[in-house]
Formats: sequence, structure tokens, C-alpha cells
Amino acid sequence: MLKAKSSLGVIFFPAYDWAISETHPEREERLLYTQDQFREEGLFDIQGITEHRPLRATDQDILRTHFCFPSVDAIATESHRISAGGAIQAARLVMEKETRRAFALVRPPGHHAMKVVQGNRGFCNVNIEAVMIEWIREHYGQKRIAIVDTDCHHGDGTQDVYWHDPDVLFISMHQDGRTLYPGTGFPEENGGPMAAGRTVNIPLPPNTSDEGYLHALEHVVLPILADFKPELIVNSAGQDNHYSDPITNMCFSAQGYARLNEMLKPDIAVLEGGYAIKGALPYVNLGICLAMAGCDYSAVLEPDFNPELIREQPDTMNYIKRLCQQMTDVYFSPKQGGADREGRYFVRERDIYYDTENITEKQREELKDCDSCSGIRIIQSQTRRTGACLGIELPFNCCPDCEQQGYERFNRKHDGFKVAQMLDRKNKHYAYRP
Amino acid sequence: MRIGIDIGGTHTDGVLIDGERLIAAAKAPTLYDNLLESISQVLNSILLNQDPKAVRTLNLSTTLNTNAIVTGNIDPVGVLVVGGPGIAPETYRVGDHYHLIPGSLDHLGTETAPLDLEALQAAFTDCFEKGVKTFAVVAKFSPRNPVFENTIRGYLQERADFISSGHLISGQLNFGRRIHTAYYNSAVWRNFHTFSTALMESLRGFNIQAEVNILKADGGTMPMSRALETPVQSIFSGPAASVMGILAITRTSSDALILDIGGTTTDVAIFAGGQPLLEREGISIEGRPTLVRAMHVESIGIGGDSLLQVEQDQVLVGPKRIGPCMARGGFSPTLMDAFNVLKLAAFGDEQRSVEGVEALAVAHGMTGMQLASKAMDVAINAISAKIEDLIALVNSRPVYTIHEILEDRPIFPTRLIMIGGPAAVFKELLQTRLGMEVVVPPLYEVANAIGAALTRSTSYLDLTADTVKGMLSVPRLAIYRSVPRNYDLEAATSEARSLLIDDLEQAGVSISADEVQITQADSFNVVEDFYTAGRNIRVVSQVQPAVIAHIDTGNTGIRVNSRP
Repeated sequence: MLKAKSSLGVIFFPAYDWAISETHPEREERLLYTQDQFREEGLFDIQGITEHRPLRATDQDILRTHFCFPSVDAIATESHRISAGGAIQAARLVMEKETRRAFALVRPPGHHAMKVVQGNRGFCNVNIEAVMIEWIREHYGQKRIAIVDTDCHHGDGTQDVYWHDPDVLFISMHQDGRTLYPGTGFPEENGGPMAAGRTVNIPLPPNTSDEGYLHALEHVVLPILADFKPELIVNSAGQDNHYSDPITNMCFSAQGYARLNEMLKPDIAVLEGGYAIKGALPYVNLGICLAMAGCDYSAVLEPDFNPELIREQPDTMNYIKRLCQQMTDVYFSPKQGGADREGRYFVRERDIYYDTENITEKQREELKDCDSCSGIRIIQSQTRRTGACLGIELPFNCCPDCEQQGYERFNRKHDGFKVAQMLDRKNKHYAYRP
Repeated sequence: MRIGIDIGGTHTDGVLIDGERLIAAAKAPTLYDNLLESISQVLNSILLNQDPKAVRTLNLSTTLNTNAIVTGNIDPVGVLVVGGPGIAPETYRVGDHYHLIPGSLDHLGTETAPLDLEALQAAFTDCFEKGVKTFAVVAKFSPRNPVFENTIRGYLQERADFISSGHLISGQLNFGRRIHTAYYNSAVWRNFHTFSTALMESLRGFNIQAEVNILKADGGTMPMSRALETPVQSIFSGPAASVMGILAITRTSSDALILDIGGTTTDVAIFAGGQPLLEREGISIEGRPTLVRAMHVESIGIGGDSLLQVEQDQVLVGPKRIGPCMARGGFSPTLMDAFNVLKLAAFGDEQRSVEGVEALAVAHGMTGMQLASKAMDVAINAISAKIEDLIALVNSRPVYTIHEILEDRPIFPTRLIMIGGPAAVFKELLQTRLGMEVVVPPLYEVANAIGAALTRSTSYLDLTADTVKGMLSVPRLAIYRSVPRNYDLEAATSEARSLLIDDLEQAGVSISADEVQITQADSFNVVEDFYTAGRNIRVVSQVQPAVIAHIDTGNTGIRVNSRP
């Protein structure tokens, strides 16, 4: 029988009883054909590949990661909790050394969910990778973690969650934002003032295929990872960059995806998007599983796979090569400055659009440039539905001054905020104002 | 009246049962070279002064096929495999005549590469030149579309003695398991066929006109006519027979564990709400996973005859077994001898136990009592740990819907039922260690034969309907037909139910509709270009193993007749 070279735990949770709406692409049978393929291939008969149930993310797991307005229940349904719980199970398997690697094949996805969540953006409510990473840090200490997001869409949510965090490197390879939702993810977006270069965006042109993806991986992602030396590598494994995906314009294949995982060697992979549920997902998911387990994946081919038909045009390949030449600078010599300051605070004011629910959030973020710790973060957020909401985040290494300031602000009454949430990493206190 | 016979590794046990009454029981040695003789001995004994014509049912659990595989008494099988993209089909190579035929189907059953007829002819030629007469034909995704398997069968039909087709063996997806299952089914067929003919002949000699059923590893039976098509299903039915027997003796309706402590191993099975838990996909034969549905039985290498050893101050119990315990004339101390030393048992020649354990203990600077008590701890700990692992495993089985995660009831056994020679000795110790009620039921010596007699036929089928393609398939029954666009889950569920009832009816087994369980009933809207184009429906129906009567254990007048 086949044997895995590195043991792999797979959390397969298709959530067969949940969808956003009747015909939404993020729907019940998204993983049905993947399951058929896994079963027919006997994936779980391979020695060293095991199947596991998801855990369920608690209120604390979510509130440790997000500011949820107006409440956690308004944001996270059972399906979101179990999807995030699937990612947590993957992390638990790896951290407890039960398996060398883990792949959370769960839905719904999460990488468009930002630090503040007021509703569903790009099919996402809860950022399942971020909830997982914060769970890891809560239980195993502040780790250096790299997230490589290979979903076709820019992982704007994950970027936002870790914008100010120098210990989490976020690299996103995606279809150029000028041609696809959410329209962001340019090299200039390279991290907040405390974490310059810790966000790396590689916007690939439409019709990028295996060669282009693997070129970017080899010439940008791997050298940066070699320098950053993360303790854990997480792949946000969206599969909507497949040549048959109905809502994107890329040309990635199952072979390419498997090779990417073989080279990247992620400790944990988490499924994100991917909506070619018959023609792509069964093969891409199988390829990822086999590659992560160190098994031969050379015969995992889509029935209509023809590398000649999806190969990049020379122009596209030249563009990718030129882009990649400049990309490592984003990390190795990041542009500093540019952040707005008001006294001791870095300030960002933004409008954030929630496409699924058609609401716009007005947000003001203040991050203290503190000499003694990473600094208190205060976020004011408002939509027409919730009114004014307040989020206060105290970092792991929070100094007494910031801590006192945070709690004074949190405990104030009649300050005009309908909801206030404390996210205190130092004392592990995550709660709403009573 | 019903007869149950269990041909085990050492003994052949038989019982005659009338309603809830055990009329007679008998034991005979199993003669591997002449199983019919063992059966005859048992029948002679239990039918003494009985009218054989009053026997309506004879259920037989036999190690015949298991043994044939172990001893290599099997037919060469031409294994013709159509693979396609994915894990290399070479991985599943089995037997000496394994041929890969190019061609492929995808997960929807759509043909994505044609069957290579030239390669097929070459494979046929090779097999026939080597005298191969039995075949296994398996294509990847054949339950979705049996076209390749049927085509190959069509070419072979005239020239083969027996062909196993993958899709008829199980509607479940698992290519590798399907290959192995079809292979073993063909490999044991001839031997089983010969045995069956001789058995029927012999039963006529006894004037028995009963319907004859063969026990399966899932604890149910299949009529002989079915057994001749899928003899592989009869493999490993022994432990299942014992479990069903306990069900008949103890009326277990809650979560419970069953422990069968033998000489070499201890087998553990688990009941959830009174039903035995089955393997998720099937058991392994010679280390190869198959689709043979079976009770989930875990084995621990600890039994009454487990050898005691001391290595680096650690006391080891099993898994080695050299011979019987010293109390029964063996030459090395075993767990049973340790029990004699501890006065937990008074078995055979106790003095020999004491001497043997003492000698081993002294050589390692212990007293006999110390060694025996450590050995007991090791055994109890190993069995308890296995039981705890099994409960954890059962409760962590994957589920696929939010509903299941929220509603899932953890399995929490509160009762342990023990059978086997040393069961009584373990009772108190396990009760303390596990904190559950431990029961040693009466009649456990012939629980296996009682189980065989009283279990009913089991069956299952997978129905898949795709209203976009307008196709319905029930692979195991070779049903592939069109369905209207408005075919829905309700129609599919009721069809899966009635097809199973009809199928069993055809095999001479009648069951009522409420005995059919629907274990999966899903309907997915298939969306194409943002419009709902139809439904993909999956239904699995089954008849679970169950006993048709409980034995009245107040009736104690039965003595098991043993022949030397």
C-alpha cells in the first residue's frame, strides 16, 4: 500500500447543509465531487493520511481575532464556527505533533474577513486562518508565522488582520487587482508602520499558468521565507486560480498546485475559494493532499488538461519575470513612512465595502507609537446598521500605560458608542462592554 | 426450528433453537481437511431425537474462505483494471495476473478516455495462455458508470468460469478496495462452490430441507445463492457471530462493549444503542483494505495463554504465545498461570503455575506474587487502554454536516459484556479499572452458534441520481436508468427502500419497510452558470444486523455435548 512520507491530517468538512443562498457559488455541494474523488482514490487508506473532525471555534476564539460588531452571533453562524474550528483542528494536529502536516478542507472560506467584521465580504465572515493563528499563539506562545495566500483573489482580510504585526509575514499571490475583486493587493501595500515589508503582494496578470506561478514562488516567495525563517508556514489554498474556474481569469492546474505545495512545504493548508467544483477541485485537492504527504502526484491530471492550451504567452511570462525582479525589495528594503500621524498615533481612515450585504463601513484606526510596547490600537467603526462601535486592542507585550488607557476607554459610559469590544491579548480578556 | 453452526479455528459449535428456546448445543473439533465431517458431528448431536424436517433455517458461519486465503488454497485470478488519472493503479497490484487496461471515467462517470481494446485482447491472451479461468474486472468510478466493466465482461463471459465485476460488489467508491474485494471474491469462489455443493448434498443426507444462509462479517447472513456470487462476504464472520450471540443472550439495547478473551487474543467490539458498530468501509484481507462490510473488532495480543516475559525489569504479557499455560501442561508461564498464583483462578494444575511463575520471577529478582501481580496490571492496563482508544475513535469519526456536529450523541458505553475462558477472572478487575458494569453472560460457550442461528439477512445499497444528466444508478443491483427532471429526494428514498426489500425478497428473505434504515439521504442543487440545473441525490439504505429472537436463559437444562 501507499505510504505518506510526511504524515498528513485532513479535516474534511463539506458543510453539506449550508449555503449563502440557493444558487450562490459558495454552496453545499462545493466539496461533494472532491469527496467522491477522495473516496474513489482511497486517500484515507494511504498509510499516514488520516481524516479528522473539525473542532468548533468558541466566542473567545473569534473575539481574540476579530472585532465583531454588533455581536459575535450576528457575524458568525455555526458554519463559520465549524469552518474556523476545522482550521484550529489542523493547527492542533500539527502543534501536538499528531501529524507532520495538516490540510483543513473546510467551507465557508475566510480570507476576505478583516480585523473588524460587520458582515459578509467576498463570501467570508470569519477569517479562519487568522482565528487559527491566534489560537496557536494563545496556546503555544507568540510564534513567527508566514501565510502564503495562493487564492486567486487578494487576501485583503488576512492582510488587514496582520497589517501591523511584524511577527506574521503575509504573502499573497493573486490575479491583479485591476482585473478582479477586491481590487487591492498591489506591491505598495507592504504593511503598517510597525511592520513594513511584512506584507508582500504579488499581483499576477490574467492568464498566468503553472510556469508563472512557480516562477513567482521560486524567485520571490521562497527567498523571502528563507530570510524570515517562520516557525510555521500556512497556505491559504484557494483554488479559484484554476484554468476552469468560472469567476476568475487564471490558468493554474492541479499539477501546478501540487508542485507549488511540494516546493512551499506548508505545515498547514486551509482551503479558501475555488468554484470549479467538478472540473478543478477534485483534482487540485487530491494533488495538494498527495504533495503535502510526499506521495507521487504525477498522474493527478484534469481530464481536459492540456498544458499547451493554458501556457502563458511570452509577453505574460516576460511581465511576470520583470515583476518578480522588483518584488523581493518589498520585503528586503521596504519603503518606510507614509503613514499619517496625529501626535503619538498612527491614524488610518477608510471606507470598507461589504459586497455580499451591500453596506459600507466607515473606520478610523489609531495605533499608538509606544516606546514600551507594540502600542494600544483603538478602532472606531460605523455602518448604517450598527451605528458607532468601538474596538480596543492591547498587544501581548502591552505596557502598563497602554493597558490603563485601554481599560479607561473601555469602561467609560455614555461615550456615544453603541458597542465596545476589548481585545486584550496580554490578559487574554476578550469581551464586550456590558 | 433453526440451526446455527459456527466453524471456528479450533471448534465447530452448533445449536438447535426453537423460538426462544435453546433445544440442543454441541461442540466438535474443527477438521480443516474435512469441514463437512465437523458439521456432521455437530448435526448428529443436536438433531438427536429431533425431526430434521422441522428445521426451517440453517445458518452457517465458516472460516472456509478465510482459511483458503491464509493457506493459499485459492484460484489464480486475472485482474483487469481500468485506471485513469489519479493515484497510479499499479499501487493496487494483487495476484500474478494483474493487467492495466488504458481508458478512464471521471467522478461523474463520464468517459474521458476510451477503453483500449488492443490492450484488453493482449491481457486476455496472456491470462488464457496461463490457464486462468476466474477474473476480476474493475474500472475506476465504475459505480458511476459500469460501461467498461460490462464491456470486458461481455468479451469474457463465454470463456471464464467466474467473473467478479467491481460495481456489483459494492456501490461505494474506493477503487483500490474494489480491486482487492473483486480479486478475493474470484480467488475463493471455486473452493467455496465445491464446498457448497458438498454441503447441500450432505444436508439432504440428514433430511434437512431448510433454507441455508451463510454468515457475513457484518453479523448478518446472506442466502446461499448470494454467497455463491459474493463468497468473499463470508470472510471473518466468526467474531461477528459471537457478537450477535451475545445480543441474543443479553438483550443489549444501550451502548455497550463486548470483550471476547481467548487464548491468544482479546477481541473488542462496540454496540451503539444496541447495534453493533461496523467498519467505515470494510475489513482488510492480508493487509489489503477491502469493501467487505464487517463489524469493527479490535484485537489485542493478550489472552489466557499469553507468554509472560521479563525484559529490563519490565514485565511483558503477550503478544507471544508458545503453548498452553503451565497449569494445562505447557512449559512456560502464561497469564493464566499468573491468575492461579494470585488465587484469582483455580485452573488445572495450580502447583505447576506457582512453580513456573516463581522460577521466572526469581531469575529477575522478584517473588512469584510480585511478578504475577505486575503481569495482571499489564494485561488489565493494555485491555483498558484499547477500550478507551476505541471509544475515542468511535466518537471522533468524521461527519460532514453542521447538523451532525451539533446533534451528534457521543457513544458512552456503561456496560461491558465478557465472554471467553478467562472472562470470569477479569470481571472484578475490569469493573474497578473501567468503572462500568461488567457482565459475564450464561451460555457464552456457544454464543457464536446462537448468534449464527438467530441473526437475520443484511443488505445495503447505494442509490445515486443526477437529474441534470437524467440518470439514476444503483450499482450493486446493476440498475442504470433514466429519471425525470422532477425526481426528488423523497422519491429516491422510497425507491432505495423498496429496491432493497425487493432484492431481499428475490433472495427469499422477507422484511418489512420499517426494518430498512436510510443512513444517507442528501440532495444537492446542481448550479450551472448561477442557475439551478437539477439535483444530485445520494441515498444509502441498509438492513442492519439484528437477532430475530432472544434466548430464554432461564432454561438451564442444556448441556453442551462435546465429542472427543
